[in-house]
Amino acid sequence: MSVNDVRDQLAASALERGDSTGAAAMSRRKRLSRRELYTRRFLRNRPAVAGLIIFVMIVLFSIFGGLPAKHSYLETDFLNLSAAPSADHWFGTNNAGNDLYAETVHGLQRSLIIALIVSTGTTVISAVVGAAAAYFGGSFERVVLGVIHFLMVVPTFLILALFSNRSGGSWIVIAVIMLLVNWFWPARVVWTLSLSIRERDYVSASRYMGVSGLRIVVRHIIPNIGSLLIIQFTLGVVGAVLSETGLSFIGFGVKPPDVSLGALIGSGADTVSSAPWLFYFPAAALTLLTVSMALVSDGLRDAFDPTSAAGGRA
Amino acid sequence: MVVVATNITYFLANAFLDPRTLFVGRRPPLTEQQVDTLLQANNLNSHESIFLRWWTWAKDIVLHWDWGNSPTGDPVNGEIAFRIGVSAELLLGAFVLYTIIGISLGIYSASRQYKVSDRIVQATSIITLNIPVVVMSLAIVLAAIGFNQKVGIRMFYVTGSSSADAHGFGKIVDLLQHLTLPTISLVIISYAGTQMLQRSLLLDTISADYVRMARAKGLTKAQAIRKHALRTSLIPVATQVAFSIPGLFTGAVLTETIFNWQGMGQYFIDTLNKMNINGVVAVAAFGALMTAIGAVLADIAVVVLDPRVRVH
Amino acid sequence: MTVTKIVGLPQSGHSDALLAVRDLRVSFPSEAGRVDAVAGVSFDLQPGRTLGIVGESGSGKSVTSLAIMGLLDDAASVHGSIRLGGRELLGLDDRAMSRIRGKDISMVFQDPLSTLTPVFTIGDQLVEALTIHGTMGRRQAAERAVELLRLVGIPRPESRLKSFPHEFSGGMRQRVVIAIAIANNPQVIIADEPTTALDVTIQAQILQVLKRAQEETGAAVIMITHDMGVVASVADDVVVMYAGRPVEHASVYDVFAKPRMPYTIGLLAAIPRADRRDAQPLVPIQGNPPILINLPDQCQFADRCPIAIDACRDDVPQLEAVLNASNDDDDGGGHDRDSEHQVACVRAAEIEDGGTIKGRPIFPVPEIAASDLAQVPRGERKPVLAVDNLVKEFPLLKGAVLKRRIGTVYAVSGISFDIREGETMAIVGESGCGKTTTLLEIMELAPQHGSDIQIDGHSVTGLNKREIRTVRRDLQIVFQDPMGSLNPRSTVFDLIAEPMRAFRYSSDKVEKRVEELMDLVGLNPEHSDRFPAAFSGGQRQRIGIARALATNPKLIVLDEPVSALDVSIQAGVINLLEELKARLGISFLFVAHDLSVVRHIADRIGVMYLGKFVEYGEVDAVFEDPQHPYTTALLSAIPLPDPVKERTRERILLTGDLPSPTDNSPGCRFVSRCQLHQSLEPDRQARCRDETPALTGVDGVHVNACHWR
Repeated sequence: MSVNDVRDQLAASALERGDSTGAAAMSRRKRLSRRELYTRRFLRNRPAVAGLIIFVMIVLFSIFGGLPAKHSYLETDFLNLSAAPSADHWFGTNNAGNDLYAETVHGLQRSLIIALIVSTGTTVISAVVGAAAAYFGGSFERVVLGVIHFLMVVPTFLILALFSNRSGGSWIVIAVIMLLVNWFWPARVVWTLSLSIRERDYVSASRYMGVSGLRIVVRHIIPNIGSLLIIQFTLGVVGAVLSETGLSFIGFGVKPPDVSLGALIGSGADTVSSAPWLFYFPAAALTLLTVSMALVSDGLRDAFDPTSAAGGRA
Repeated sequence: MVVVATNITYFLANAFLDPRTLFVGRRPPLTEQQVDTLLQANNLNSHESIFLRWWTWAKDIVLHWDWGNSPTGDPVNGEIAFRIGVSAELLLGAFVLYTIIGISLGIYSASRQYKVSDRIVQATSIITLNIPVVVMSLAIVLAAIGFNQKVGIRMFYVTGSSSADAHGFGKIVDLLQHLTLPTISLVIISYAGTQMLQRSLLLDTISADYVRMARAKGLTKAQAIRKHALRTSLIPVATQVAFSIPGLFTGAVLTETIFNWQGMGQYFIDTLNKMNINGVVAVAAFGALMTAIGAVLADIAVVVLDPRVRVH
Repeated sequence: MTVTKIVGLPQSGHSDALLAVRDLRVSFPSEAGRVDAVAGVSFDLQPGRTLGIVGESGSGKSVTSLAIMGLLDDAASVHGSIRLGGRELLGLDDRAMSRIRGKDISMVFQDPLSTLTPVFTIGDQLVEALTIHGTMGRRQAAERAVELLRLVGIPRPESRLKSFPHEFSGGMRQRVVIAIAIANNPQVIIADEPTTALDVTIQAQILQVLKRAQEETGAAVIMITHDMGVVASVADDVVVMYAGRPVEHASVYDVFAKPRMPYTIGLLAAIPRADRRDAQPLVPIQGNPPILINLPDQCQFADRCPIAIDACRDDVPQLEAVLNASNDDDDGGGHDRDSEHQVACVRAAEIEDGGTIKGRPIFPVPEIAASDLAQVPRGERKPVLAVDNLVKEFPLLKGAVLKRRIGTVYAVSGISFDIREGETMAIVGESGCGKTTTLLEIMELAPQHGSDIQIDGHSVTGLNKREIRTVRRDLQIVFQDPMGSLNPRSTVFDLIAEPMRAFRYSSDKVEKRVEELMDLVGLNPEHSDRFPAAFSGGQRQRIGIARALATNPKLIVLDEPVSALDVSIQAGVINLLEELKARLGISFLFVAHDLSVVRHIADRIGVMYLGKFVEYGEVDAVFEDPQHPYTTALLSAIPLPDPVKERTRERILLTGDLPSPTDNSPGCRFVSRCQLHQSLEPDRQARCRDETPALTGVDGVHVNACHWR
């Protein structure tokens, strides 16, 4: 989880530079719209584009991969226990006879849904809470920061495990709990960044004009940390997939009959020398998912960062 | 903060873990009464008021530094003391290694920004940072097994922290054989965070006015970076590294599980699975303490490195 | 045509130039294409002389200096020739250049707050500069370091060596930077806007130090600046740059007395003067400097030039020697005196001294209607803002986690003034004197105990939140930084509409009013769907002004509204403000550090020092008869854009920096820096220290807070 924090900081520092210098620098150049510029920069970053393509393919696979499947992930084939990949079972089967292809598709879907819910939720909560705390200040800010600092001390992974252990492995419960223990890291980053935005003249200007506080947060602060939020969202997906995998691997996550990639790898790990395919396929899917998403978010960060010379070699 | 966090965990753990389930299905079946007595001895009887139990628990810690027993009566203290040592063996080495590797690679890639070598380092970091720990560790295990088979001797142990039959000098060799794989795995997944942070901070400072000023004085670019940019960029990196210390112990849960390393991480899973409430709380307390230590270390690092915050 | 064509200056054959730059070109890659930051600069620098390079932002003057130092980014491509004492510098690698930098050529940068490494002591950084070239041992260097610090005027140099940069003020840090620059007795010192980040009083000190440093080392100086006053004060020769090219090159007297390039003429006409009452409006240069990408081969100023003809767009005009109308029978021997004055304008020969062509001024003076209110005596006009005994104190905190209060910052200590209808009041002073705090305190509309603020005759004390909001309709603000005060993610329409929406104007009305306002401030209403980034600095400031006008306020508060703008743009915004005052009868409260601007625009002025007015009154009275020693010093520190006046006048140099405002004991706050105080007898001095002076004089016309004036 500290890794996520590092990444958030990197993103934040890049953007801070961005908002102050970038706009000024841009105006002097030929006028490209922001979106055009960002798209152009992103597309020039080949690893990021590759990441995006892989990610889209994975998503499509998780949605439509089930269509050509010959078996359901719930169905067990007693004639083929721990069978190696074959024409019938493309990815092989496990020791209970479940078709690994169907399981991988379903697990991927499950992991993705959890990740998307968690990441969307944390982004929204962290943006609102962090920005509001920074703008309103005073006792509200102190309370929010108190909660955040407290959550930083509490080993959240443990709480996560405690809750999900009790929930019996329902993915919805897991997603909600992950949301609850994940929002505060990004909220702190949003808070830090919003603090500097609060000091911008356009915020004071609105306040002196008699614009209400909530409106300032929504219209002036949050839009100006938009690029941070986008990056944070993509990183949040990676982070959520990773922690869900970890949880499921040690047995505190999604539980049978439901499967997620983590759970699949967990069971595959036990037979890694006897039936390695049980490990290879889900591991490959998982790695592709996280790495592609990470490349995308790295590309986005580069595109948003005006000091990045990667774009300067036109 | 640490105390509050620990107490909250105590109540949470009591609410979510039920040691009673341990005794279900025992043969011969135990009566309610017998279970109560067994649990009572370890201050875990859920029929007793939670506040009474909390009082006993807290009193023992404050007066005797006794963190209670597991449901089967094993003292948590002994277990924790042993496991902290085992974890430290693994984690300290890995910590030092990945910090050094991360910072040096960060400096290297920053000073060669946008050259091929920088791009390779960056790409590798993104990948290793985002390969799931489990996948990475298992891949290493597979590779080591393959290597062992090829060489014909067991160069690397893939599980455990030591063999029982090693003595003297052999003990060190044995330790290293066990230590290598989990350390590699930890270093690979952890160095990239430091590397990327160091790179981006150094790049920020390289373009700072005072680095240009140093060059204007007659320092070459390399000298200016080494003397003027590096020192300033190390300040936030040091803070970050110090803050990563608590994450080390919990973060090692998966690594310790995969390599069957009898450390704190594995203990944590163990306590959860075995409804060891007191154990869970002790782990949580340890984690919170580590966070606090990390924060203090971060402050110290800043004071040492940055004259601006020194008090006169 | 009576001009002689000379490419560049006399070739190095017979020249004793120390530094010879020939056809220097620098370009950078960028997102939108190649930026030609410098496109053909040539000049010679003679030993011991000072060359001023002036130009607005983006004119390529700083890039030129970095190219000479070899400190440009790797991405920049540099062509041409830079010879130092006959040795070609372009093409040398970093190692070879590093032996020249700091030893033969050294540099003073713009922002002293960021040019010293924060984690090393002043001594370390100075010693490093002395030892890096292997000419000196550490011990010897330490001794020399003390000597250098003393030379640049740092008190107690021995003990200050161990201090870190953050323990110094900006002015003191710039002195240290100068000490480092002269450490190895360089032949050339390049000063890149060395005083831009500093207050005028400190600027005067630093220019003095630079002059002493030059005398001490005998070095030639390249002074890069946008401030014509600074040039007039220090330069021997001047190069005026525009869009990456030199457009005029002459001795400092010629540039100011008989400029030949329309751009130079426009620039000089656009500067407000502190030393006289301008009878007429400033003359702005229309349009904006070009973007330096894919520039056509033509005079780059042609698009903004009122006298441009077709020939201007045929080719890039080269610097050519000017022949005076008096001696045009001597047809270009090449070595006559006139080759000292070169200009890149095809119509240069037609232009006469005083910036006229065929007897008519090149830049026509705009007309601004006079206000009806100006006829009404001040006493009969209603006050729109009355401030009574305004006080603002902050607790001074220390400690990261547990904050202890260790003192109080007395930012504003009891100032009173009023502003009448159609009147402009200015508050001036050094940074840190509390002028911006005063503004913000008024905007907060929540006076501290014992103070009162009245808007349009009604006190705001005791108003509830709702009523305060209503008051805000009459009171709007324009900020210093035109980029920072406009949300980059909102369209211009939304920006201007915001205050009206806050007061629930109907959307039809908002629509109409936005159009009206954009027209009023000189923006095209069709651009209302664009984002602020699509506008230049001056246009953005107009957006800010339009927004402030939206609710028809009685008073607009302006915090340094033109200080972030280039001179040629600044004049247009100042004229707009004057016009608004005349047409709408609006009042302004204006905070500025640029006294020339204040003199031009304000009716009344308050000079602030450490939270108090030391002098307050009508602007002409204060400027023509400054009474308080601080005002005298402040006015004498302003560099005038006139080399003759600038070099002959008596200058009062203030010593030291503005003390921190944490002391509230009785006595005059200016006593530590007061030149008058030092000349007094001891018993009179005691009165300065022990008794707080009150504002005395002709009430409402001109008052000052000095016991002896």
